Amino acid sequence: MKRREISIFFTMTLLAVVMLYPFIFMINTAFKSNEQYLGAPGHSIASWKKLFTALPVGRQLLNSTLVCIGAILIILCVSTMAGFALSKLRSKFSVLFFLGIVGAMLIPLQSIIIPAYINASKLNLLTGYWGAIFIYAALGTPFATFLMTSYFRGLPDELIEAAICDGLSYRKVFTKIALPLGIPAIVTVVVLQFIQIWDDLLVGLLFIQDPNYRTITVGLGALSAGRTTSIPVLMAGSLISAIPAVTVYLIFQRQLVNGLTAGMSK
Amino acid sequence: MSSHSLSSQRKRVSFLFALPALALVSAFLGIPIIQAGYFSFTQWDGLTAVWKGFSTYSHVLHNPIFWRVLENNGLLFIGIPVAMLFPMGIAFLLNEKVRGWKTFRTIFFLPTAVSWVVIGMVSLRFFAQEGALNGLLKGFGFGFIKTDLLSSEKGALFAVALTFIWSMVGTNTIIFLAGMATLDISLNEAARMDGASNFRIFRSITLPQLKRFIQFSFIITVISAFTALFSLIFVMTGGGPGFGTTTLEFFIFQSAFSRGDFGTGAMLGVILFFIMAILGIGQLAIMRSKDD
Repeated sequence: MKRREISIFFTMTLLAVVMLYPFIFMINTAFKSNEQYLGAPGHSIASWKKLFTALPVGRQLLNSTLVCIGAILIILCVSTMAGFALSKLRSKFSVLFFLGIVGAMLIPLQSIIIPAYINASKLNLLTGYWGAIFIYAALGTPFATFLMTSYFRGLPDELIEAAICDGLSYRKVFTKIALPLGIPAIVTVVVLQFIQIWDDLLVGLLFIQDPNYRTITVGLGALSAGRTTSIPVLMAGSLISAIPAVTVYLIFQRQLVNGLTAGMSK
Repeated sequence: MSSHSLSSQRKRVSFLFALPALALVSAFLGIPIIQAGYFSFTQWDGLTAVWKGFSTYSHVLHNPIFWRVLENNGLLFIGIPVAMLFPMGIAFLLNEKVRGWKTFRTIFFLPTAVSWVVIGMVSLRFFAQEGALNGLLKGFGFGFIKTDLLSSEKGALFAVALTFIWSMVGTNTIIFLAGMATLDISLNEAARMDGASNFRIFRSITLPQLKRFIQFSFIITVISAFTALFSLIFVMTGGGPGFGTTTLEFFIFQSAFSRGDFGTGAMLGVILFFIMAILGIGQLAIMRSKDD
């Protein structure tokens, strides 16, 4: 039994190295100059200095943050309200609506992106952040609503009824009772969406036309596609862009896993 | 009287609360998918659309590049069982709960938080001629094999598929680990008493209990393989060499935004939508029939 444990531990360690490889490579390469990357010995911070001239890192981190905040706020507003209505204020209409929402989860982004892009361009949404914010919000809303609906379903109906009998309006029941109790599910939605939006390339690439408004992931993707930037500089950029999402993951790992497995607990 | 007005108020509030979500999803997903259906029958440059009817579809079905692209999707599909079985094995090992298993779980799931753009950039260097793969081969005494996967069509697709399989490890391991937490151990012991072999126990007792999780993992993996690899391909290969790594989702982007052929792009989007729907319904049907 002891030998078995040791061999499992050994296998896991080997796998851990494989899974951590990108981080090892990024850290090791980012602290090298181009010459060092090509074989010269030692480490340096030369590539970090170059990064800040190649990529407006600060501005793009800010852009990513603003786009994430905008989209997540919209998602939270509409999905908590809809989730409350679909779980606690059920009517004939809500079954239909729920099916529609679940159906929308099945639409691949690529299937709608061309008409959505043309629409956004006609509505003048491609110049600032708004085009991307609305698309991210619309893409995130179906699953968020699904999650909030199943979470609110777990709240006892008597609680809502008692509050209504005490003379509270539905709006008050929602803001004073449902929302505070829904915080665990809300955190899951925020974490899930933050990582998804922060890491996305396609929507940002198309729906943010002004390079000044580009998110860090899009900026990095564009820089990489140019094939002129040296690899250590790209790795320094990658490292910076990955840190926020990885940090959020490490802090909220449990909520992320809950969100993932919630898809099964229908 | 009062209960009636309460229930009608309830209906109104229910509708008003659900409305913003409905409006948002309709405006940015619902309407565009209907538009995509319409524009798929047209020749469209983004400004003016000319109705062509079904000829657009028959045209693309006679285009060898379209079939080349679908072949790439097919080849990627072959990778899906690997992307599921490998994590299932890992989950079994993690489930033994040896020392430090929670840390290992955190590490295995970590790449889930990293963008495809970053993963693609690292992967590109890993498979490059002077990259770590050849370094590893040399280190283990296989220096005579010098791979250059990204320079050939099939090789590049293989490299993309390997990166994809690697990146699915976290998600699928978590899914199967959640499944294993629900297993009923007493069934195994009873079967062992009756003289069942380990393999027999796994096939007849463990697998059926994991069915729901296998199903979920399959759906997530297919969705990722067919609709989430855009950024990876964009950064790693740009769809090439040739059409070597152009999958349907990438072809949609290329048609519309590199060649300005929005009509074909919209049509390919509709085809992708139907492929995903058929795969979804198909796996539901297979799983159902096994119930009987």
